[in-house]
Amino acid sequence: MSNRKKRSIFEIISEYFESLEEMTEQLEERLLERPSWNKKTCTIEPLRNMMITPTEVIVTVDLPYTKENAIHVKPLDKNTIEISANMSRKICFDDFGMTHYEGEFQKLHCRTRIPVAVDINNMKVRFKRGILEVRLPRKHEYTIPIE
Amino acid sequence: MSEEVKIIDKEKIPSGATMLFGFPDVGLVGVIAASHIISELNLTEVAYMDSKLLPPLIVLHEGLPHSPIRIFGNGNILLAVSETAIPADVIYPIVNALINWGRSKNAKMMISLSGIPTQDRQDIQELKVFAAASNQEILKMVKEKGMEILNEGYMVGPQAIMLQYCAQIGLPALTLLAQCFLNYPDPEAAAEVLKELAKIMEIKLDVSKLLEKGEEIRLRARDVMKRTQQELSKMKKTQEYDIPLYVS
Repeated sequence: MSNRKKRSIFEIISEYFESLEEMTEQLEERLLERPSWNKKTCTIEPLRNMMITPTEVIVTVDLPYTKENAIHVKPLDKNTIEISANMSRKICFDDFGMTHYEGEFQKLHCRTRIPVAVDINNMKVRFKRGILEVRLPRKHEYTIPIE
Repeated sequence: MSEEVKIIDKEKIPSGATMLFGFPDVGLVGVIAASHIISELNLTEVAYMDSKLLPPLIVLHEGLPHSPIRIFGNGNILLAVSETAIPADVIYPIVNALINWGRSKNAKMMISLSGIPTQDRQDIQELKVFAAASNQEILKMVKEKGMEILNEGYMVGPQAIMLQYCAQIGLPALTLLAQCFLNYPDPEAAAEVLKELAKIMEIKLDVSKLLEKGEEIRLRARDVMKRTQQELSKMKKTQEYDIPLYVS
């Protein structure tokens, strides 16, 4: 006879979520394992973050060596924005003491997919202290009536 | 010292120094500040860490291998700095080994330099620096120097372990935390923390070069910041935003 203890449904669900979380972390790590620069397009990928609040999505991007008039924020579809910014100086690997790579970069570039529905045409953009902030109002496509 | 973590001295270590810590954390405040102290005070490498707990990684400088965690110093200061994000699950043995090493060299005080994430950082003109200490005497001393105390809240990361362990073994310790970005390198915050450090240690520390090089630092530090972010999220660093439940 098996000695295995019968698990409750809560334990099974909790284990399922734990393994799902672990898989997501592993996937994230794998996706992040690539250079933060692209020699072909001569671009550097800037650091970025996203915060989802009940009313809006706030995307921030760190854009060093950039002036406000050199930044372009472009919607690619209803959930994706493309951010590019020309830097005020050319950056070479040599500048960082790395002589085993070649390449010159003068642009910061990234694409960000927003995981919730947003009104992309009404985004607001500001640039302060070298950080670009894009605010996108959330679209609430349905509401659950309270009985 | 733990067998898992060895610290190898490269030269004779002065007794009675103040030991500083600059580890990758929010805004990379500690690492940026540490790097500036090394160049401004001409500190040289006096010891390094050798541990199989760390990822299989070396840092090459002028073609020669170096440990990612090294200790720099001069007569009065020892400074432990990490050039790579420290995996969340090995922070305890790494920090404890450094403290034990400092204690064996009769370090008179431990000071960690770090940041405290602030949501409206972009809009803050003058950054505040907060302090937390391992005992009442140090708290009194920093209050007398006009510093604000981090009274209530959570602290997550190497500086938290450092304070707790030092309090436990009775070694005076202080953590200086400048308001900073959570996920972006913040040279301005590093400059603020250094100004307060200079006051406490009564030393001269010019931060003008650090501020001048701000944009370069932000660009250079992207990759270390990205890897630090991954470790910070494993440590649940955003708990520092949480309101504590005070249980008396």
